[in-house]
Amino acid sequence: MKGKTTMTIIVGLICLILTAVMFMQFKTISRIDVTALENMQEAELKSEIASWKTKYEEVLKKKEDTNLKIEEYRENITNNQRASELLTNDLNQLTGLIGLREVTGSGVIITLEDNEYVRITPTDILELINELKLSGAEAISINDERIVYNSYVVSPNGTFIQVDGVKLVSPYVVKAIGNPTYLESGLSKKQYGYIDSKKAEGISVKLERKDNITINKYSRDLEFKYAQ
Amino acid sequence: MVLIAIIIGCVVGALIGMNAPVISYTYSGYLAIAIVAALDSVFGGIASTLKGKFDMMVFVSGFFGNAILSILLTFLGEKLNVDIYLAAIVVFVGRMFTNLAIIRRHYLDKWMNRHQEK
Repeated sequence: MKGKTTMTIIVGLICLILTAVMFMQFKTISRIDVTALENMQEAELKSEIASWKTKYEEVLKKKEDTNLKIEEYRENITNNQRASELLTNDLNQLTGLIGLREVTGSGVIITLEDNEYVRITPTDILELINELKLSGAEAISINDERIVYNSYVVSPNGTFIQVDGVKLVSPYVVKAIGNPTYLESGLSKKQYGYIDSKKAEGISVKLERKDNITINKYSRDLEFKYAQ
Repeated sequence: MVLIAIIIGCVVGALIGMNAPVISYTYSGYLAIAIVAALDSVFGGIASTLKGKFDMMVFVSGFFGNAILSILLTFLGEKLNVDIYLAAIVVFVGRMFTNLAIIRRHYLDKWMNRHQEK
């Protein structure tokens, strides 16, 4: 009798547990039955999730790569900008040096003038240019003809002075940019200085210091035809 | 007596199950396997009762043991990426059919015997 009672209780309990769990499961499943999930097996969903995950990872990776590339490009751009800045600076510097760019700065203006007794010869001007270069002139022009590396001062028939093929007439205004003090003192050395010696020859020479001299650029093209 | 206990247990269990909190979908797979295992035990129990070889301890240990073992195996399969629960379902459902066949034959024999007696 006692065995029968316990058996009854146990069977009842087991039935209770079984049905409780089953109904819980029914409820869960019915609750889960929403939209697309209903037709999908768990494995399917898992594979779906996995594929989405891999896709997401791929996209993330791509994004990172793209970001890196953008960074690289940005760096390149700044580098290029820096390079072009440097190049522009160089270009400015060089064009100024060779005379293809108008330059300004402090310096001196020397005016040589013919008079009744003495005519100015190319030698006078060449000497002056030489003297100025010695004193550190960085840019020189004669009557706004820029003196460049291959400039020449000649007087083909003894009448006109030609600078680079351009005829010049008195007064000859020689502009030189450089340290004004050096230039001035270089030219006005006592006795053997340019000014003194020219004055002794009877040429009228006038020297003027100026803070803001503009020297025109060389007006023709400079190019190599043979040199490489 | 036992029948009444079964009916009461089923009704109370259904009520409890209806009012129980919803378990997460992740675990419902384990629960389903446990249910299948338990059902197998129940049918096995019924079949053995009809044969007169019913043992309470065997039944109870089978009921809980199979359920827990199947849950553990399913979990292991999940970890190993092998669908072990399929094997469990095949075994349990196959046994369920065997037991159901035993039950069916038993009652069929009974009915046939009664029919022949008449």
